[in-house]
Amino acid sequence: MKNKLTNRKARKIKNLLAVWILLLPAVICMYLMVWRPSAMGIVWSFFDMKGFTPTDFCGLKNYIRVIKNTEFLPIVWNTVQYVFWSFVIGFLPPLFIAFMLNEIIHFRSIMRVLIYLPAILPGTTVLLLWYMIYSPDSSGMLNTLLAQLGLDPYGWLNDPNFVIIYIIIEMTWAGFPGTMFLYFTTIQGISPDLYEAAAIDGAGPIKLFIHVSLPQISGLLLLNIVRQMIGVFQTMQEPMVMTGGGPNNASTTVGYQIYQYTFVQGRVGQALALGTLTFVVLMIATCFYFKLNKKVEDNF
Amino acid sequence: MKSFSEKQAGILNSADLKSAKGKAFYWIMFGILVLVCITTIVPTLWMILSAFKTSKEMYTSISFFPKNFTISGAATHLAEAWNKLKFGRSMINTMIVAAGNALVSIVICGMAGFVLSKKKVEGTKLVFVLTIWTMMLPSIIRTVPQYMSYISFPFVIDDKWNYPLNINILDTYLPLWLGAAANSFNIILFMNNFDTVSPAIMEAAMIDGCSTFKIFYKIMLPIVLPVVVYVCIGAFNSAWSDYFTPYLTISNTDLLTTPAKLFMKKSDTNITANVYITGLMFSCIPPAIFFCIFQKYIIGGIAVGGVKG
Repeated sequence: MKNKLTNRKARKIKNLLAVWILLLPAVICMYLMVWRPSAMGIVWSFFDMKGFTPTDFCGLKNYIRVIKNTEFLPIVWNTVQYVFWSFVIGFLPPLFIAFMLNEIIHFRSIMRVLIYLPAILPGTTVLLLWYMIYSPDSSGMLNTLLAQLGLDPYGWLNDPNFVIIYIIIEMTWAGFPGTMFLYFTTIQGISPDLYEAAAIDGAGPIKLFIHVSLPQISGLLLLNIVRQMIGVFQTMQEPMVMTGGGPNNASTTVGYQIYQYTFVQGRVGQALALGTLTFVVLMIATCFYFKLNKKVEDNF
Repeated sequence: MKSFSEKQAGILNSADLKSAKGKAFYWIMFGILVLVCITTIVPTLWMILSAFKTSKEMYTSISFFPKNFTISGAATHLAEAWNKLKFGRSMINTMIVAAGNALVSIVICGMAGFVLSKKKVEGTKLVFVLTIWTMMLPSIIRTVPQYMSYISFPFVIDDKWNYPLNINILDTYLPLWLGAAANSFNIILFMNNFDTVSPAIMEAAMIDGCSTFKIFYKIMLPIVLPVVVYVCIGAFNSAWSDYFTPYLTISNTDLLTTPAKLFMKKSDTNITANVYITGLMFSCIPPAIFFCIFQKYIIGGIAVGGVKG
């Protein structure tokens, strides 16, 4: 009897061991790449940094320096503008394109591939390609188009008033196919019977859209609002590749400022402090996202 | 030409499409979609056409099309651009990174997904919650501490503790592969798909004396093959799309991947606009081939990729 018990116990431990051996690599990788860096970033933002080594605890010094920097408010404002324009320009088109693609019967499969094209091209290449397209001299695509219309070349990304909008146009171009297909698969899942029943009751196309289609997809839309906000708020690579934050810091984002603090100006402590500030703001949004996600799953 | 009567009921149904108003509505939508297609094609086409222009033409010609296009001239130009950018080496490097990414994503994320779905023991619930949070944790805070840990890996040097085990992993592909392995999205993706596999299959294998690891790679992985392919594609694309991590961690130009190389050559004055844009075109070719082969999995894969927390 006792023998049997120990045997069972041994088997249980063996099973536990086998399970954890499978799980451990992923846990270690997530620890090294996500959990520890996040914690380190917060803790070390309160330390004086010498190069990449933390030396002494210095309280809020890094934070005060970040906030007192005259660039701080304009950069936060820029980032907010990125988020704002990404909604104005980029939020609705994927939804409408997905709906229209669902209604079309002619050339549908060709269109599907063509619309997916920006997502096939590698991300960095798209960024660099748009950097060339926006080129302020006569070699850029848009200036070539202007020249065909007989107009002078225009500075595009050198125009501080509109540079954020131009970058958002690039981001939308690169990003909409993925979102579009996410919506498209959801829309395809809506049963045609629902439409037929509503149409028999006398609903026109617009009513069908509002009362049949939208309720099915509104959960996903809500989640995407938060997700897009969190994503765009962390924009860094776009200004880094396309403008270098210019002209005159007009397109610098919080993310790019962190990069500059670290790798250009050598102020690692301030980079960590700014990172922590952004992290806290985005964590609030993330918690909200999880709450919303739960609600959406319960309701839809 | 397909007829309207074949159309499934949607916002418009086939009865609507008999009236002039319905038809107009349909063709307006069709026209908008054609415009969308044009906006996606034109930049791509411009890139391909400009790759065959001469440097002078780039700046002076207002036409989209290259003048004096000959096959032999184009071939010499392509070869010249390829050599000037030293693309052969970086393409091989990117392939190595992509293969490593795919391997770690399938093995490490796959194993974790398998455990979280089919082998719930003490502690796995906590790992699951942490994985979900990992997926949503803002990445903005991580860049700098990650870089600090690459300098002295796996522990970070502090003044007080000097670990003898620490090594510098800059100038290797380890940071890239570790990043691919820590992809919590893939873990959840595997988990969700293993959830759909009947536990009876696993029990049968266990009775036959199959070990846990064998069950994973002999039985479970083949069942979820579409997910494996989808994850492979994601890993491949991430190697081809990300310039930032290789740009930060790799300073040896012989080890650079294609996107990082393109980014670094951006400000190189020796490279003319037409050569540079040829390089951009080259960098699109492997992903384009990949897309053509796995098109079914990619467009269908978005359904696979729907992640539920």
